[in-house]
Amino acid sequence: MNISYKWLRDYIDFDLSAERLAEALTSIGLETGSVEEVESIRGGLRGLVIGKVLTCVDHPDSDHLHITTVDIGDANGPVQIVCGAPNVAAGQTVVVATIGTVLYTPDGKEFTIKKGRMRGQDSFGMICAEDEIGVGNSHDGIIVIHEDVKPGTPAAEYYKLTSDHVLEVDLTPNRVDAASHYGVARDLSAWLCTHDRPAKANKPNIDAFKADRNDGGLEVEVMNTEACPRYCGLTIRGVKVSESPEWLKERLTSIGQRPINNIVDITNYILLGLGQPLHCFDLSQIKADKVTVKTVAEGTPFVTLDGIERKLSEKDLMICGGDGPMCIAGVFGGLNSGVTESTTDIFLESAYFNPTWVRKTARRHGLSTDASFRYERGTDPNICLYAIKLAALLVKELAGGEICGEPVDIYPETIAPYPVTLSYSKLNALVGKEIPKDTVNSILASLEIKSTERPSNDEICLEVPTYRVDVRRPCDVIEDILRIYGYNNIAAGDQLHASLSFQTPTDAADDLLRTISEQLSATGFNEILNNSLSSTSYYEGVNRWPADNCVRLLNPLSNDLSVMRQTLLFGGLESISHNINRKNSNLRFYESGNVYFFNPEEVSTKEQPLRPFKEESRLALWITGDMNEGNWAYSARPSTFFDLKAVVSNVIARLGLNTREIALNVTEPDDVYENQMTISTRSGKRLGTMGVLSLSLLRKMGIKQPVFYAELDWSALVSLALKRNAEFTPLPRTMPVRRDLALLIDSSVTMEMIEQTVRSAEKRLLKNIELFDVYEGKNLPAGKKSYAIAITLQDDEKTLQDKQIDAVMQKVTLSLEKRLGASLR
Amino acid sequence: MLEKIEQLKEQISKLSATTAEEVEALRIKYLSKKGEISTLMNEFRTVPAESKKAVGQALNELKTQLTDHIANLREQVENNLHSEDANSLDMTRTAAPITLGSRHPISIVREQIISIFRRLGFSIAEGPEIEDDWHVFSALNFAPDHPARDMQDTFFIQREPDVLLRTHTSSVQTRVMEKQEPPIRIICPGRVYRNEAVSARAHCFFHQVEALYIDEHVSFADLRQTLLYFAREMFGNETQIRLRPSYFPFTEPSAEMDISCHLCGGKGCNFCKHTGWVEILGCGMVDPNVLESCGIDSKKYSGFALGMGIERITNLKYRVKDLRMFSENDVRFLEEFTAAR
Repeated sequence: MNISYKWLRDYIDFDLSAERLAEALTSIGLETGSVEEVESIRGGLRGLVIGKVLTCVDHPDSDHLHITTVDIGDANGPVQIVCGAPNVAAGQTVVVATIGTVLYTPDGKEFTIKKGRMRGQDSFGMICAEDEIGVGNSHDGIIVIHEDVKPGTPAAEYYKLTSDHVLEVDLTPNRVDAASHYGVARDLSAWLCTHDRPAKANKPNIDAFKADRNDGGLEVEVMNTEACPRYCGLTIRGVKVSESPEWLKERLTSIGQRPINNIVDITNYILLGLGQPLHCFDLSQIKADKVTVKTVAEGTPFVTLDGIERKLSEKDLMICGGDGPMCIAGVFGGLNSGVTESTTDIFLESAYFNPTWVRKTARRHGLSTDASFRYERGTDPNICLYAIKLAALLVKELAGGEICGEPVDIYPETIAPYPVTLSYSKLNALVGKEIPKDTVNSILASLEIKSTERPSNDEICLEVPTYRVDVRRPCDVIEDILRIYGYNNIAAGDQLHASLSFQTPTDAADDLLRTISEQLSATGFNEILNNSLSSTSYYEGVNRWPADNCVRLLNPLSNDLSVMRQTLLFGGLESISHNINRKNSNLRFYESGNVYFFNPEEVSTKEQPLRPFKEESRLALWITGDMNEGNWAYSARPSTFFDLKAVVSNVIARLGLNTREIALNVTEPDDVYENQMTISTRSGKRLGTMGVLSLSLLRKMGIKQPVFYAELDWSALVSLALKRNAEFTPLPRTMPVRRDLALLIDSSVTMEMIEQTVRSAEKRLLKNIELFDVYEGKNLPAGKKSYAIAITLQDDEKTLQDKQIDAVMQKVTLSLEKRLGASLR
Repeated sequence: MLEKIEQLKEQISKLSATTAEEVEALRIKYLSKKGEISTLMNEFRTVPAESKKAVGQALNELKTQLTDHIANLREQVENNLHSEDANSLDMTRTAAPITLGSRHPISIVREQIISIFRRLGFSIAEGPEIEDDWHVFSALNFAPDHPARDMQDTFFIQREPDVLLRTHTSSVQTRVMEKQEPPIRIICPGRVYRNEAVSARAHCFFHQVEALYIDEHVSFADLRQTLLYFAREMFGNETQIRLRPSYFPFTEPSAEMDISCHLCGGKGCNFCKHTGWVEILGCGMVDPNVLESCGIDSKKYSGFALGMGIERITNLKYRVKDLRMFSENDVRFLEEFTAAR
């Protein structure tokens, strides 16, 4: 909320600059953002001076202009000013805008007074009307000052114009006690007291309050004291509704409130000044001799001040008159019961409403007002009577009228200061530093918290004032003591109090992710990061990730962000499309992140609300375009699925998983992949998929080049990897032997089949099989292809003899011929 | 025979070659199985016994001389070859096209934060992003209709029982405290969500890191010490910190931490809005209600918690002005972080 420096000084005397004040408030928890200087008149009347009209004659060439000489206190003597106002005359004291003065038109445009020439006569300035300089609305000729003011006196001085500073205080939800100028003054007082410049916050005196007559006051009946623990009401008759005086308008406008009329302005002044919301009814609209505070039947229609008809709930507390509800208690007034220009008699309300009731009602109707803001956070029940008396005094002063009796005060159960017991040792233990008892006690006193020491001497009994709704427990009091003592007065040393903690599997998993990420980045991959909120359209009609399994938001920002992703795929494709559109089409990306699933078969229960929902972490890889830009050394090479396969294998290898325990199985194409392979353990545990993305899917994403994609089940990989450790095996004493075979085979025979055949033919000596050349096409019989494979044999113990090698190769060749119909080329 | 040997010796000293092929030809001519030396060796068998010693010696000398000479020639030729090659190598040609990738700035900063806390002995804990009301709000001392819940606009997945996207990583605290006996020293990185319109300064998803320490005798001074250590490790040894009282339902006392602006060194600049300070995190002593909600005896144990937005810290470090760039994945942006660490 906005706090006016000048208004604050109405309640407390202090000598801090606005900037220093902002710092002090921030340091005690009233975070002050901007400090702005405000002028009650735009331009601050700069350049305007008081002048004395010495001579005034009619302009010879005009029927309305006058030529004047004006003493503006200038050492060079009087100046000539041509003036068109009908009322200008010699001997007048006037306000003169001198050359260079900036003035503002009524619609806010600025213009500068320059030396002018009007029909042959020089003019050195302008004699001003009220509206021209912003001191009033009159344009009936120039301002004529009837007092004796020395020429040359700045107009700002004559009008006693001063500037104000407005501080923007950002209140945390627990600090409703500071949602007023007095509340801020009270907290400031605590700061001042602990900074050797004690000053107390003072509320205006209301001793002058008295009833003017004993009749004519309205009765009040509170039918729900839970929702309304206190209600004060007061009738004032014969008021005159009019514009507020300058001082009141200035207070309100300085913090951005629009003045309305004297009665409404008084209620706002007390709300913003003291924090107590007031409501004022036009007595003639109450149409009963009694005001009733009650709930009404569910569905009762009620038109609020904004002209909207609302259906009331039976849990909305209403202030009712003869014709039914007039106001939603603590939230919003009705259309017809408020004060208008023609109001003469008023009924003032100053109440304490139950925060929860107000909050629920405000939320139910989607309303938030200055009153509801304070009530729902908790106002001070013990300020109601004071506030209504202060309001009545102001009404009498500004609008006249007669106070009809003492205020009605329905307060069946007095709310007392809240008792808290605080132990010094507990305080010091939590703070980690000993704060002297005297300091503690003086801080408590500055916060108006009464304390009595117990005989045990370690404990003090405290009474927390009712306006501090957030202070209920010892830790709350400790916070209050500490914030005034100064958070930054707790020094930090060189040592840290700590218990030992040990590496957890989560730590180890995080390390693995980092290792793999670094590996991928080192091999040319850019790490990307996408929103986990995704578009439902991606999943519609996709069998792989049925839309029914999407976790859906009840209140999404838009359709494009309405479901949680089931795959990292689409985010990455969006990124690929984004970059291709910016002429970067050779891309290698990886992302590690979560995917989310909803299982419609499971039921969410109170005990296990999350049962139908599942989250899994994934590592995804995308390759598209050329593997490199190409240059003199190597020409550009389009990426292939096998580049992706290599990267995936390297990830698996780096995780310590043996290729022998991983199975790669080709599976049928689906709506996502044109060609795909599943990655799993030999025992069948799924570890991911990789393949060539389907063209129709890519087209849908606006991508016209092939994309190779792998999505690995990161949690499954990690749980396997954490069980692995590199082991040392002694180096073989012999050298390996390589033999090549060029095979002519049916097109349907796969490398996997060849490898298995070779492995089953020779288990002991076979170290490795590599495909080193592929030939398909011309010069081969139809339906055939040629694979050239390199077979590495090795006996760890002794060097292989040619005979042995030949025998193995024969066995292998035979097996390839028999089982796969292969022939040697 | 001796004469022949002397002749050859003479011949040898004059031998020269400019290419490797010439050297090889010489080797074949003299030293191969059918070369001149072999021929002499064969003849040596016929030398009478009395001359054998002298001839043998001369023959050996010849062989050594020849072998050395040819080796020298070979070395010479090879040296010449190398220097010619070296002269023709233009080392200023562009390097072979091996691309270097990059880590995402959010990951880089996430790892920096984690590593600082791990040095202090914190271990990582994680929890679900799809959460229930209890772990995100109720257990953290948000009253059912407390206005503090208005501070965070929540994405809901279902109502009654409420399932929602966590609005802060503090929910991980709750889960760990429910399961584990103190001492607890954890750091919880993760993704969080707020129902906020996406703009340069706000996003509907972002990342937080939360730290929690629960033990006997954990004090506000310990918190302050940890914060100072973190700030200096993250932003440099000169960094000053400032705590301001604040409010979070799950801590009491609560504070917000500012660090001295690392751009102007606290003198005031546009970046810190001329205050000399920039806000980086929220923290406080764990509210006893939270400890009790999670089954921890608040009379015996106390603790502190602190939490920060990774995007915020990243922006402070790299001054990325538009939050949306983090998930746009423009390679031109990503490659700016190739050297970041």
